[in-house]
Amino acid sequence: MKPTHNSFCHYKFPSGSPWSRGSPRPSVSASSPLRASQVVKPGAGPPERVDPAAGRGFRRTDGTRAGAPSLAMDPECALLLPGLCAVLADPGQPVADDTCLEKLLDWFQTVTETGSSLRLLQDNPCLVELLSHVLGTQDAPAGLLSFALRLAGIFGAQESGFQYLQQGELLSGLFGDAGPLGQAAWTVPSVRSGWVQGLRSLAQHPSALHFLADHGVLDTVFSLQRDPSLFVASAASQLLAHVLALSMQGAAGSPPAPQDGAWPTCARRIVGHVEESLCSTAAPQVTQALNVLTSTLGRCHGHWTKALWAQLSPLVARLLEREPVPAAHSLVDLLLSVARSPVFSSADSGPWDMAARTLSRLGPLQAGPLALGLLKLQHCPQTLRTQAFGVLLQPLACVLKASAQAPEAAGLLDGAPGSSVPVDSLLSSKSACVGLLCQTLALLEELQPLPQRPSPWPQEALLGAAVTMLRLCGGGAAPASSLGGRLCRTLAGCVRVQRAALDFLGTLSQGAGPQESVTQVFAALLECLESPDSSPTKRLCSPCWEVRDSALEFLTQLSRCWAEQADFRRALLASEVPRLARQLLQDPESYVRASAVTAVGQLSGWGLQPASTSPQHPGAQQGLLGELLHILTTDSEGFPRRAVTQVLTEWLRAGHADVAQDTEQFVATVLQVVSRDLDWEVRAQGLELARVFLVQTLGQPGAGCPYAVGLPVASSPSALPAALHALGRVRLLDFALCALLDCDRPVAQKACDLLLSLRAELARRGGLQEAGGSPDPAAVEAALRGWRTGEQGQPLGELAPAAMLAVLDAMDLEGFRGRLAESSDRVERSPQSLLQDMLAAAGVRENQADCY
Amino acid sequence: MPEIRVTPLGAGQDVGRSCILVSIGGKNVMLDCGMHMGFNDDRRFPDFSYITQNGRLTDFLDCVIISHFHLDHCGALPYFSEMVGYDGPIYMTHPTQAICPILLEDYRKIAVDKKGEANFFTSQMIKDCMKKVVAVHLHQTVQVDDELEIKAYYAGHVLGAAMFQIKVGSESVVYTGDYNMTPDRHLGAAWIDKCRPDLLITESTYATTIRDSKRCRERDFLKKVHETVERGGKVLIPVFALGRAQELCILLETFWERMNLKVPIYFSTGLTEKANHYYKLFITWTNQKIRKTFVHRNMFEFKHIKAFDRAFADNPGPMVVFATPGMLHAGQSLQIFRKWAGNEKNMVIMPGYCVQGTVGHKILSGQRKLEMEGRQLEVRMQVEYMSFSAHADAKGIMQLVGQAEPRRVLLVHGEAKKMEFLKQKIEQEFRVSCYMPANGETVTLPTSPSIPVSVSLGLLKREMAQVPLPEAKKPRLLHGTLIMKEGNFRLVSSEQALKELGLAEHQLRFTCRVHLHDTRKEQETALRVYSHLKSVLRDHCVQHLPDGSVTVESILIQAAAHSEDPGTKVLLVSWTYQDEELGSYLTALLKKGLPQAPS
Repeated sequence: MKPTHNSFCHYKFPSGSPWSRGSPRPSVSASSPLRASQVVKPGAGPPERVDPAAGRGFRRTDGTRAGAPSLAMDPECALLLPGLCAVLADPGQPVADDTCLEKLLDWFQTVTETGSSLRLLQDNPCLVELLSHVLGTQDAPAGLLSFALRLAGIFGAQESGFQYLQQGELLSGLFGDAGPLGQAAWTVPSVRSGWVQGLRSLAQHPSALHFLADHGVLDTVFSLQRDPSLFVASAASQLLAHVLALSMQGAAGSPPAPQDGAWPTCARRIVGHVEESLCSTAAPQVTQALNVLTSTLGRCHGHWTKALWAQLSPLVARLLEREPVPAAHSLVDLLLSVARSPVFSSADSGPWDMAARTLSRLGPLQAGPLALGLLKLQHCPQTLRTQAFGVLLQPLACVLKASAQAPEAAGLLDGAPGSSVPVDSLLSSKSACVGLLCQTLALLEELQPLPQRPSPWPQEALLGAAVTMLRLCGGGAAPASSLGGRLCRTLAGCVRVQRAALDFLGTLSQGAGPQESVTQVFAALLECLESPDSSPTKRLCSPCWEVRDSALEFLTQLSRCWAEQADFRRALLASEVPRLARQLLQDPESYVRASAVTAVGQLSGWGLQPASTSPQHPGAQQGLLGELLHILTTDSEGFPRRAVTQVLTEWLRAGHADVAQDTEQFVATVLQVVSRDLDWEVRAQGLELARVFLVQTLGQPGAGCPYAVGLPVASSPSALPAALHALGRVRLLDFALCALLDCDRPVAQKACDLLLSLRAELARRGGLQEAGGSPDPAAVEAALRGWRTGEQGQPLGELAPAAMLAVLDAMDLEGFRGRLAESSDRVERSPQSLLQDMLAAAGVRENQADCY
Repeated sequence: MPEIRVTPLGAGQDVGRSCILVSIGGKNVMLDCGMHMGFNDDRRFPDFSYITQNGRLTDFLDCVIISHFHLDHCGALPYFSEMVGYDGPIYMTHPTQAICPILLEDYRKIAVDKKGEANFFTSQMIKDCMKKVVAVHLHQTVQVDDELEIKAYYAGHVLGAAMFQIKVGSESVVYTGDYNMTPDRHLGAAWIDKCRPDLLITESTYATTIRDSKRCRERDFLKKVHETVERGGKVLIPVFALGRAQELCILLETFWERMNLKVPIYFSTGLTEKANHYYKLFITWTNQKIRKTFVHRNMFEFKHIKAFDRAFADNPGPMVVFATPGMLHAGQSLQIFRKWAGNEKNMVIMPGYCVQGTVGHKILSGQRKLEMEGRQLEVRMQVEYMSFSAHADAKGIMQLVGQAEPRRVLLVHGEAKKMEFLKQKIEQEFRVSCYMPANGETVTLPTSPSIPVSVSLGLLKREMAQVPLPEAKKPRLLHGTLIMKEGNFRLVSSEQALKELGLAEHQLRFTCRVHLHDTRKEQETALRVYSHLKSVLRDHCVQHLPDGSVTVESILIQAAAHSEDPGTKVLLVSWTYQDEELGSYLTALLKKGLPQAPS
């Protein structure tokens, strides 16, 4: 029976039902933070809603991935729902896991986004009953209350669902004055958060707007902007921006100003509130008002926003007259939001004028982000660009000036009109100075690679500034002025500025510079490297593993770029570096061993192999390959072993001399060791090595395809039996079949792909006949039986090529692939599992208190 | 007015993912950077957008402190440093730095195993993040910058877990992280000195619980394992690589030794070697018993526990297997579970918390029919839950508050209802305010900073020389000159101050006029004054100078004629401020007039 107009209002709970109890309830903790990003996505309008009239049952999401669980309301879930609602309403059955309610809401959100809420509510009356029950319970636990508010919002997002809930005044009860607003639970932030989030979901259609106006909801939202919880306050501001946008939706052309009365009531009230807040002397209120405006102008690009800005910009401008300028961060965000809005063109001077005034009013630390934001805009007027760039350059200009030995030395902003060096900010305190310089360098670093960066770009002066700062930090600068002396004292030994300057130099290195500057840069960098008293080579002997590791990573990159340059090869081989790098294969730190493996492996690939330095080390006598295999066999940590398999795969691919001596023996050894490895990435990498060998032995899979890129085929089809024998000798099939049953899904998946491609390639080449006739049925059966019973550790034994093919053919590899394609959390993510878990957990108490 | 502000982004009235922002003395510190394993989307990480809105992260935050290696305390760190863009220092203890990457890699594997896990950190990111870590020793005061300093204290809980004291000037906050006030099989109890912080931020997982003796739980555990293997069953213990696994290994190893049992015990995956390597390396962080026995036997070199090979799972007969991961959500432990679940002789013991959706969670809540790889699996094996998590219980928390003597307490990492109870208890017992902010709520605490002043030795010596030794509890006035120079305050003697500052001393004299009715000449009046004072002030040095003036100590008295009234003489009395008392006395004395002179 479908509920009638107000059937749930008079719903009587069955006697003895846990819902009819009225004892105090323990709280269900569902206080998950409300994310700003989840409330309003910039640039996104209200989500498209399915027309409720067209809603006839629930559709499966089209975008569902293969193997992903169905998130729709299926009959199994519908069967579980009444029981779950009863559990939720039962004070004696607190929900154990606070993530469950969150996930339940996620699911309902998905269900209502793809189907009709009205139908959902009609088909599952327990949902409305649950909401009614919560509403009717004076002391409902905060967690449940918050959940009910958010749930009601989700159901009411569609007009039909909204009307259905409102028939019983459910929404009025939950969100109006008589609801949680007046109850003790309102003091709990999660309840206030749930209230705002519920309204945010609800506010999608005109009926919802009327609802907000009729129930005086806006006043509460205004007050929640000042909520002690960051999450609630932020969500309230986002809600206001959303409601303003919703109420102005459809306003075309250039509507009159908000105060003319032509704007909807909701919009007028919100604008009035923003105006009032902008005039407030309390900085938090100003901040909230600016945030509402930023959100609105960031996501709404209707013409009405122009009218809105026209009305409010004088109030914003007045903020600039205050001392100090309040809410500077938010003001910058707002001005950038306006400047980015397509509603305003470069011909609209208002926003640009205000940006220019703001740049000159704010201190350099606050003005920096605004300057960068403006410079990123293509259509920013040239004069403003010049001013903004000046703001960014000022701190560096100050540094250059302070440390200039001669007055004519190249500087930044030389002769620029009105360029006042922010000496005060730079020298007010050490932390202010460090903060400003770091920020300036980071902002310029961001600007440098952009196409819209100012031109001409003062590359030389910037290089000079960065080098100067490095010298100041290193204590090697000779100050020429008292200002320089003070900077010297402030920056000497300052690692933060040193790092920022080095990063900045790295970015600048993408551009060219005059020879003199380059020499200076190298001198400064060497100075950094040589301090304290260590040669760059010794860096590999640093007591800090981080330094040793970074040095090895650097060596790897360096040899990748320059290995073919004769000068570099000579210099490297003449140095101690290759020997030291090889020594680090035995470093106590596993990260360093792994980096050493990569570096040494690569050097060896380029013929820059150092001689072994420790003959007593096992495996060393057999050369580097032996040493790497020793690491692969014995190292107790995964990182070095992973690095070894990667290096060996590369060696195989590139035909490294050590490998080419006896490739089959090499592959067989590696696969044998890797198959026993306990690290899943080593096993996965072993499969990659097997794949490379397969390609080299059989040729590129699918090479017969007329459209494939013509890669050389290693063997002709007539050589197939020989190739299969080779695979048999290295026990590749054993290895892959064993990996197919691996407990780690990515390994099994890779093995499955390998076997499928092997089978396809063999089939393409003529299958059994080419492989050498019919297989021995007993051998095939024995191999399959052994494998099926799970004795995956046992080798299949030497299989004839034909038997190998027969084994592959007999296996349901596609079925395997299908199962493996399903994520390991497939069940975990299914709504049915969630409902079952919540129902099952209701009876369990003793585990609740535990955590890690 | 200086203040301390605390905003939990996580762990505010929950136990999900710890991340607490503290502003103290103008410095911003993030305490822990944890991950919630119950979510697979963005919600697993704290919402850092509330920090990024304050400008560049690295500029806003002065440092990040990680209390221990559990993922709900450090799991978001690579995301925060390598993806969100924090580039500043990260502090943790040496064991935490060593072990963190292992657990992060462990979790990354699970994330890779799941499909659609975008936006997750890579192995290289974990390493790059670890390179930003500054490792600290216990009780070592580390200077983050000129003003901010931190210090680590032993917290028990897991290997390397630490409580941190954060100090700026005279203001300080102590953050406990997770801690345990009772020693366990391998770790000692948390300890902190009486550091009297302005605020103690303490975990409150077991805020209302007085936990039963750990011995009982251990006995129970051993009994269950023993009974199962005795009847020929297999025992599966899903664990995470580090932490509880080691504790349980020691427990079983000792029991096997004592009972002379031969049933094999295995530890799946090679993590055990790595883990045990760290326990050996950081032996000083374990408890006294382990440290003592280390001399002749390393407790982490197990005789009975061997590495597991996956083929062993099919071996007949009883065995005990520790397998990862701990929640039975994938990998080795799940594979073994699938093989053994159908046999009622077998048993699975879950020694820790499992998030919703995992097989561990399902079987713990009593579900016996599970869907696995498209097939129904009936669970006939016995399922046991044993909590071995090492947190302080209500008694332990109170003990720590008593030990540190904070001015206020703030509760995190617990459930709201339980916190409420503990809050009242703390407020009643210790008479200090206690707070329990929810996530996103800011607690603002005004502080009254005490400014340290150093007193010069010279001044103290002079004070000691003048009067007997001061009594310990009796305040006494000390005169000196306060010099504020280069951010330091020093109290020195006036002479030293003058010398240091290069100033000359100015004498300040008070002068008072006293009118006397006396018709004699000025010299005679002066003589009369001299005679009078000489007779009254027997203990003072009274002199009659050749110029006719009279002195008493530094006080100078001169007689002059009145310009209008020849019958009146004017006495000019002047004195320095040091002799103000005597000067006032003399003036009052002279105002009474001189005794009648013999005619």
